[in-house]
Amino acid sequence: MTEAITIKGVDEKGNRISSKDFEDLVQEAFKQSSQLILETYGQHNVGGRLNPKGNKLDIQIKGPAGQRLGCMGMPGTTIICHGSASDDVGYLNIGADIIVRGDATNGVCNAMAEGRVMISGSIGARGLTMTKWNPEYHRPELWVLGSVGDTFAEFNCGGIAVVCGVDPKTPENVLGYRPCVGMVGGSIYYRGQTDQSYSRTNVMAVLPDDEQWQWLISRLPGFLEGINRRDLLDQLSVREDWKMLQSIPPQDRALMFSGPMPMSEFRKNIWDKAFGGDPIRDLAPGLDRSPIGLIETGDLRRRKPFWANQESAAPCAYYCPVHIPTIDRLRLMREGREQDAYELVLEYTPFPASVCGSICPNLCMQNCSRQMVDESIDVAMLGRAVKDFPAPAVAEPLGKKVAIIGGGPGGMNAAWQLALRGVEAHIFERDDKLGGKLAQVIPWERLPRAIWDAEVKRFMDTPNIHVHFGVNMTKDKFTELQKEYDYVIVAVGTHEPRRIPFPGHERVITALDFLKGAKSDKPPAVGKQVVIIGAGNVGCDVACECYRLGAQEVTLVDIQKPLAFGKEKKAAEALGAKFKWPVSTKEVTEEGLIDAADELIPAQTVIVSIGDVPALKFLPDTVEVLTVGGAGWIKTNDACRTSDPQIYAVGDVERPGLATNALGHGKNAAHAIIAEIKGEEWKPFTKQVINLQNLTPAHYEPETCPGTHTDIAHADIHEADRCMSCGTCRDCHMCETICPTGAISREKLGENEYKYVSDDEKCIACGFCANTCPCGVWLMRPF
Amino acid sequence: MVSIRSIPSTPSSLTPGDLPWIIEHREDRCTLCGRCTAVCPVYAIKLTYMRQRMPRLVLTSNERGSSFRTFVGIRQKTEIANKCIGCGTCAMVCPNSAIRPVPNPMSDRFRFQSTVGGEPVKRGGRRNDPAPGLLDKIIFNRISMLTDPALDAGRHEFFLNTLLGRVLSPEEYIRRKINGEWIPPVREIFPFIIGSMSFGALSPNMWLGLLQGVAYCNEVLGIPVVMATGEGGCPPWVLKSPFLKYIILQIASGYFGWDEIIRAIPDMQCDPAAIEIKYGQGAKPGDGGLLMWFKVSKLIARLRGVPEGVDLPSPPVHQTLYSIEESVMKMIQTMSMAWNFRVPVYPKISGSNSAKSVLNNLVRNPYASGLLIDGIDGGTGAAYNVSMDTMGHPIASNVRDCYLDLCAQGKQNEIPIFAAGGVGKTGNVTQNGMALIMLGASGVHMGKYMMQAAAGCLGSEQNRCNVCNVGICPKGITSQNPKLYRRLDPDQVAQRVVDTFMAIRTEMKKIMAPLGRSQSLPIGMSDAICISDESAAKRLNIKYVC
Repeated sequence: MTEAITIKGVDEKGNRISSKDFEDLVQEAFKQSSQLILETYGQHNVGGRLNPKGNKLDIQIKGPAGQRLGCMGMPGTTIICHGSASDDVGYLNIGADIIVRGDATNGVCNAMAEGRVMISGSIGARGLTMTKWNPEYHRPELWVLGSVGDTFAEFNCGGIAVVCGVDPKTPENVLGYRPCVGMVGGSIYYRGQTDQSYSRTNVMAVLPDDEQWQWLISRLPGFLEGINRRDLLDQLSVREDWKMLQSIPPQDRALMFSGPMPMSEFRKNIWDKAFGGDPIRDLAPGLDRSPIGLIETGDLRRRKPFWANQESAAPCAYYCPVHIPTIDRLRLMREGREQDAYELVLEYTPFPASVCGSICPNLCMQNCSRQMVDESIDVAMLGRAVKDFPAPAVAEPLGKKVAIIGGGPGGMNAAWQLALRGVEAHIFERDDKLGGKLAQVIPWERLPRAIWDAEVKRFMDTPNIHVHFGVNMTKDKFTELQKEYDYVIVAVGTHEPRRIPFPGHERVITALDFLKGAKSDKPPAVGKQVVIIGAGNVGCDVACECYRLGAQEVTLVDIQKPLAFGKEKKAAEALGAKFKWPVSTKEVTEEGLIDAADELIPAQTVIVSIGDVPALKFLPDTVEVLTVGGAGWIKTNDACRTSDPQIYAVGDVERPGLATNALGHGKNAAHAIIAEIKGEEWKPFTKQVINLQNLTPAHYEPETCPGTHTDIAHADIHEADRCMSCGTCRDCHMCETICPTGAISREKLGENEYKYVSDDEKCIACGFCANTCPCGVWLMRPF
Repeated sequence: MVSIRSIPSTPSSLTPGDLPWIIEHREDRCTLCGRCTAVCPVYAIKLTYMRQRMPRLVLTSNERGSSFRTFVGIRQKTEIANKCIGCGTCAMVCPNSAIRPVPNPMSDRFRFQSTVGGEPVKRGGRRNDPAPGLLDKIIFNRISMLTDPALDAGRHEFFLNTLLGRVLSPEEYIRRKINGEWIPPVREIFPFIIGSMSFGALSPNMWLGLLQGVAYCNEVLGIPVVMATGEGGCPPWVLKSPFLKYIILQIASGYFGWDEIIRAIPDMQCDPAAIEIKYGQGAKPGDGGLLMWFKVSKLIARLRGVPEGVDLPSPPVHQTLYSIEESVMKMIQTMSMAWNFRVPVYPKISGSNSAKSVLNNLVRNPYASGLLIDGIDGGTGAAYNVSMDTMGHPIASNVRDCYLDLCAQGKQNEIPIFAAGGVGKTGNVTQNGMALIMLGASGVHMGKYMMQAAAGCLGSEQNRCNVCNVGICPKGITSQNPKLYRRLDPDQVAQRVVDTFMAIRTEMKKIMAPLGRSQSLPIGMSDAICISDESAAKRLNIKYVC
């Protein structure tokens, strides 16, 4: 035990020693003694950095203490301040016991890591802030007999505070305003009243458990000893008086970060209660707003697949004026139903070989989707394949008769359709043979005689068809027919050639007369040089016939760019025909044609081919006629019905067109009549053509040498495989296979009858079926 | 005639590389599950079959021929109507990360072809200007460490609220108080306000989710957040609920839903937070509201009192207003009277050269409670692209001019200016808002930011998604189709609203603490901000720093 050394904070002259010099004196004295009596005079940072190295160091502070008493205090040091202390007592203390027998101001224990600070009065703001605790050492402790000021224990990491509430400075709130903000460790024992403003995200109010109580009650005497208040032991040993603020463990605090109340609880207890139900139940009763996912089935899909089998038309059926469903025919062939396939075609036309197979420009083929892969289906070949197939059986007689004036393609198909469906069809033809212009003017090169004769024979042999040749129609005769027959169909075509009254027009032969003559047994003579006025397709036919009959130089002239196209034009050009335009005819002389520029195109024969118009003198006044381009044309509706309900008109009398157009009109008129007879409604062809983008051409392999099939017996089978079956299911099961959720299945309905269905409860509406379907049958539609 | 074999080329034919977003699909990862094509909001993608020719040509054995291989992939359509919008919902549902949209770095030719049918592009979203805005460049440079009381955002308590309403001068207040005269209503609200988005522009789940979150902020967290309705009215049950006090009801030139509001007045449990009279919108100045027919569902039609499935364009102006004085007087008085002068009433205008004229009229109007100016970067559910991209006034200088004008009159504490238009455009919502506040705004409105923050709106200023106008929002935020809006769980929206405001609250403190401000919002505290753009600094009368 060494002798105590006293150090004065005031020099001999009564002047205060600076904190720096005072510190030097203290450090020097510490080398000699472990008992220091410091008569401070407001010196700061006193009592620290003195390491007794396992021994004890006692420091008595007598006199006004400066700031940061016990700053950086070391273990083993005991500092007793015999009076109140200033700010920051125990600042960065790492082990000293510091006793203040009085009050302390702000910042007590700031950043303290170990040791005890014991205050016998109250302290100011920000006590026990930023404390630390290293588990290898003891926790820092702060004992306050009275109360603490505001913002107590902020960022307290490990410190334990005991606030006894005896003679507190603030009896109404012994812990001050908002304690424990940012406090993450340690705890606070306290007695007395608080304002409960502690930070709820950092600490929770608890009562000391047995272990904590034991800690407190065992450490309490030491504190009271230090501050000389042993008398309070009984008063402070009442467990019920003590409460605690305990730091919230990190795991618990993590949970609190989502907010003090779970949203579901808020919705249930506050939100829903305020509305008493869904807040828009009055606007939309029964509306389900519950959450769903991104991928849904059933009614929650935005669209769904529809198996739109045969809802849209294949281009072949759509563009064909007769709407012959070539894809159905090819489907029947694929199904091995060849007979049905042929019969199907004949249900639409008596002339599959003559028209489809020979003279038709085949609009069906021009628009065939197969061209996306290689070449169109060879419909002409398919048509010729039906040449020798017998007519379908006719239906039971309906007991009705129809008169058809004109035995051209329009009239013939009308008769054919009527006959097959059990109506007696009487054709009245001026000529002595059937076929109209097909037979009269189209060169045999383009319509082979054998084909034509075979199909006419099949036509003539069909029951219910009666033909009356050499009948010149007149008004009277027409009236008679109207009385005698249930319906009259006018199908006289255009047999009145247009002419131009230029000088020398009498020298000019009309194309109609010429072609008729050329095809007759006594063909007309033709000069070596021929000029044809009008360079359309008929003009080309004329040119070909001229060459056949001996012409050497044929020139087609036109006032505009020639309209000729396709087979006719190519045939004429192949024979050497020349096209010249614009040529306006001024005069026709013996030498030939003189144009507006007085140039001569030498010709011994001049033929005018600028179209024909109908001759309709026999028509009753009840039939409305439309005058276009100086000629009268019969006005009809979609069903080819005229303004007189008993009278129909088909073919070129309505407007000039292809033979196929006439066939289509004939079919429409006949079907309209039959529908009316049967009391049914007749509907025009209204299917929309398929959107080619719905097809999947990648499923087909292009053929290196397509379209060269000569073996008729097998070629049509091959074409059936090539057909892309636009809009009609080809039963390939691809949709069933690609569907990622197994929603699609095939349902058998009967013999050759089936459908594919998509299970709404499995389908997620990915659209793969529609993207995969080769035929564009599956369509995704909103619903 | 173009043959079927050929691919038709039209003036509008495009390739995927011409579109703004290119779908990148990895066939080696794709499992063909169909989710991407099922979920695509515009059906931009489809399963595509492709055929590859594999020539077999062996020179030595004279073998010749070709075979074909078919392979599949997910490919995008090039039709304008089905162009990929870049929303990335495909990537969201793909189990194998096999698909995603990538922005096309090349100039997208699509822009030149988008006027299909003679109709210019309409869309939702904001001005397509992805660059950081001026607000993002404003820095808070007054950092109190030792000079002012050092404040701790985490520890100190802050008063973060603002005042919405006419604040009388102390003399006037006392005079009126003594004489028992009318005192203008003032609300203490959180300065970040959910800007007006209508019930109609937003789906029911979104709109109600926002309100639920707002209610939570108020009733659980004590953050007095308010939201504005937009001009689509308000569901009657909401009008009659205790949550009406968190709602700013908007009246605009279309007057949609106001019959229901008036009908509900006798049954209201509380007053609305305020009434906003919309004269203009920053996203489409000079244009009225627009709800396109896609979104006029039965529910919306019922609430708005209009036929189902019709376009609802509001006129650009209120049809009974003819002059600025009259507009201000007539509308503010009518609306004030509806709640017996207990509810603040203020107009909303689009940012404009003429904003100061409007403000000066409001200053002279005893009933005007404030002015909301909506700048060019404001969002919208539907507008013509040209209006959105090229019309309007940036908010910063507009607000600044108005505030300095008030200062010159000594009225800066009496009539609050609120700012909107691009607040949080690049995600810096608190910074943007506080910058505007320090330039002189009393608070800011944010709409688009809330959609992005609270509901995961995918829209961007690179024109991503932005299909709000046609009601096909993949998130269900702006759709009236229950098949889409049910994707949005109102509880989750509410939770995100709460998250957002909790975070804004903390960030506000983080900005305010270093300024040494904790007890009042630093409105007009322009000595605390600076910018490294000299001309902007000069224009805004703030410090230039470098």
